Amino acid sequence: MHLQLRSIAKRFGAILAVDGVDLDVDGGEVLALLGENGAGKSTLMKLLYGVHRPDAGQVTIDGRATRIDSPRDAMASGIGMVFQQFSVIPALTVRENLALAHASTPWFTGRGARRATAGLAPLAAIAPDVPMDARVSSLSVGQMQLVELAKALQQDPRLLILDEPTAVLGDDEVRRLWSLIRGFATRGLAVVLITHKLADVAACADRVAVMRRGRVVASGAARDFDATRLLRTMVGERDLAAPSTAPLPADAPTRVWIRGLSARGPGSRIDGVDLRIARGEVLGIAGVSGHGQDVLADACAGVLSPDAGEVIVDGETLFAPRQRAPRAGRVAYIPEQPIRNAVAPDLPLALNLHLDRLHTLPAIPDRRRMEADARALLTRFDVRPADPTMAAGRLSGGNLQKLVAARELCGAPALVVASHPTMGLDLAASAFLYHQLFALAQAGSAVLWISEDLDDLLHHAHRIAVLHRGRIAGVVPADQRHRQTIGAWMTGHADAEAA
Amino acid sequence: MSGGTVDRARAMAAPLGRPALAAAAFVVLAAAFFAVIGRNPLSMIGVVLEAAAGDSYAIGESLVRATPILLCALATALPARVGLISVGAEGQFYAGAIAGTGTVLSMLPTPGWTMLPLMLVTGALGGMALSLLAGLLRTGLQVNETISTLLTNYVAALLVTWLVYGPWKSPASQGWPATVEFPAAAKLPALFDSRVHAGLLIGIALAVVLHLVLTRSRWGLVLDVLRSNPRAGLVAGLDFRRNALIVMALGGALAGLAGIAETASIQGRLQSDIAGGAGFSGFLVAWLARNHCLRIIPLSLLVGALLASGDGLQMFAQVPSSVTLVIQGLLFVAVLLVNGWLDRKRPG
Ligand SMILES: Nc1ncnc2c1ncn2[C@@H]1O[C@H](COP(=O)(O)OP(=O)(O)OP(=O)(O)O)[C@@H](O)[C@H]1O
Ligand SMILES: [Mg+2]
Repeated sequence: MHLQLRSIAKRFGAILAVDGVDLDVDGGEVLALLGENGAGKSTLMKLLYGVHRPDAGQVTIDGRATRIDSPRDAMASGIGMVFQQFSVIPALTVRENLALAHASTPWFTGRGARRATAGLAPLAAIAPDVPMDARVSSLSVGQMQLVELAKALQQDPRLLILDEPTAVLGDDEVRRLWSLIRGFATRGLAVVLITHKLADVAACADRVAVMRRGRVVASGAARDFDATRLLRTMVGERDLAAPSTAPLPADAPTRVWIRGLSARGPGSRIDGVDLRIARGEVLGIAGVSGHGQDVLADACAGVLSPDAGEVIVDGETLFAPRQRAPRAGRVAYIPEQPIRNAVAPDLPLALNLHLDRLHTLPAIPDRRRMEADARALLTRFDVRPADPTMAAGRLSGGNLQKLVAARELCGAPALVVASHPTMGLDLAASAFLYHQLFALAQAGSAVLWISEDLDDLLHHAHRIAVLHRGRIAGVVPADQRHRQTIGAWMTGHADAEAA
Repeated sequence: MSGGTVDRARAMAAPLGRPALAAAAFVVLAAAFFAVIGRNPLSMIGVVLEAAAGDSYAIGESLVRATPILLCALATALPARVGLISVGAEGQFYAGAIAGTGTVLSMLPTPGWTMLPLMLVTGALGGMALSLLAGLLRTGLQVNETISTLLTNYVAALLVTWLVYGPWKSPASQGWPATVEFPAAAKLPALFDSRVHAGLLIGIALAVVLHLVLTRSRWGLVLDVLRSNPRAGLVAGLDFRRNALIVMALGGALAGLAGIAETASIQGRLQSDIAGGAGFSGFLVAWLARNHCLRIIPLSLLVGALLASGDGLQMFAQVPSSVTLVIQGLLFVAVLLVNGWLDRKRPG
């Protein structure tokens, strides 16, 4: 297939999200679409997939002008898309989700979807280990991503759009996805891969296009764009100062004690997790997703009531079975999947920035004051557009993540729980977020940082604890020398410690 | 396709506003309906207007019908502010009527000035109790509130029937199943020399107060967050259960108040079927108003007038009064159509 976009434009109110884009995509090649947060990448692809309709411009597929008014039209034209925000239904099983999305499933399918076999083949091919009859809410983020991909593949697309699929995946999952993507291209599919990760480009892109402020500012063969050139086109001449953590004094006192914590979530559990985090310490939690990270984060932030154990902050038990102190001000929490867990999408940014401290507002809040506070915070964390009256759901994926970070990191919390805090952020925003996070640590906060990116953890954390099957497999100082030990712990080989 | 023309038509229609468009669609639909049942649409619409607002008596009857609908609409809109869909206003109406009647009957031989306030308070508490039941089932056992409120509607209506056929039946009423006549001390003051009573003013005042509280107060923001994303509310430390119970309780109290006020001031005694669908009309009004408390006021008056015109239709045009139920239905169809048309693929 050969797809041509010419002079595509889309405006949302005052924002020109896509501003006259020309782009070509060919069968058999992978196009990496890059660019800063809010550049218009997702919007451009949603225009192609019929989620939004362009204000101007033409789409040509194999030489024929094509009008795409809805995702149904897009599918009929052979276009499939995996969105940045998941669209699977958490309350249904994998099988039901796939059956519902499958074209041959009649609308009156009812509970028959339980037994349906329609549309299972792609998932079996790309991820045989995902349990078909588990509820989607119990899957790890990586598995959900694969279910989304399988859903898009069901329609047998000739063009596949993947919007930041690697943002949430661990190393092994990313590698598996890369080889899947290369496989699609070999089979003649055209693939558009939106990403902020240079490694994705190196691993599987044939061509790259970089967007800024709604325009494509650079494009060409991937081999002509080495990492330095890509960086320069993406962030300009600005110098991205590498963030760093201050060394931890040997006598730093314990600030947070996660004591024998056990808790159960929908898909996983933690069992007797015992960790102490010193004042000023950044403790990384490594592990393959689905081993209890979300439960640990929720329990440490007091969202999930533990079955046993307690979270002790500054000597005071905040959370324990049947005991939950308000976390506002003391425990900051950046959960995974902010759109699901951390924002009210149809309410304004100003309100979203006050979400965790609503009870501190006066009984009749002063809107103008809220908005003024919000505007300052939005500017400080570079959330764009910095319009406090805008509904949060209209932000781009990365800006939504910045919004949550702005709310949680603006105070002086004793404990920061951050799950994949840089998910979906562009390089500059990632660097900024790390600066903020590590500055809090330096000011005395204890930071619990959950990540799938072992390199990042090894670079920035003070110590790394590995979570495996809900238990702490071990804790080591963050040092390249321990990489193998950590890897072994992550896969459950506790005895490989000697290696 | 004709996308361009449709878009242009939509752009031209936009300034007219939804209400005007919906009203126009409604008139067309109603006229078509009259034509289908073999009546002259124009003269029938004339009869409806006459019967709804032709003279002060007609206006009074319209307001009488509007009063319980207004309160029941508020009773539906409040739970909806946290995303709960209650269809229980009808049952809460009856529960309020029962509780308030109980108070009146127990004070009967010597009614004093305390009877009216006590009756109103217990009536509100009765509605609140029934609504809280559904709220507790939802927050404690995850029982869907729409189903439970639907079921309690039947229970409460049957309980009234049982009471007026049995223990509370007035010996003086001979065959007719009803309680004794309420004393004058149990009646809300009447307005301008008609059957309209102070409940209407109470309803309007409550709608305004609720509107201010829901849109201006911190509590209103909390409810907004819980409706928009309960999970984010939980992560932010907001208490869904508590707030769900509060709105269910308040909503139930409003419907209960409607029930006892209607019983005492309009019917003058408790008997079966006194709600006359006010709970359901209230639900539809709340939906039409998109749970906006101020919009509920004129819409209740409109629907009340429509229903009141049913009696006029029966008398002057010899059509069954159920025709007005069809007309009420057409009103909702009209609004649905207009909303659907304006919202379809609206850009952005
Ligand atoms: N539905 C919408 N309503 C209003 N504005 C929108 C809407 N969707 C996107 N925008 C705006 O359009 C711009 C581009 O957003 P888009 O989601 O395409 O960015 P992006 O390049 O995908 O960024 P990210 O890397 O953060 O995902 C942003 O300013 C965003 O706020
Ligand atoms: Mg995006």
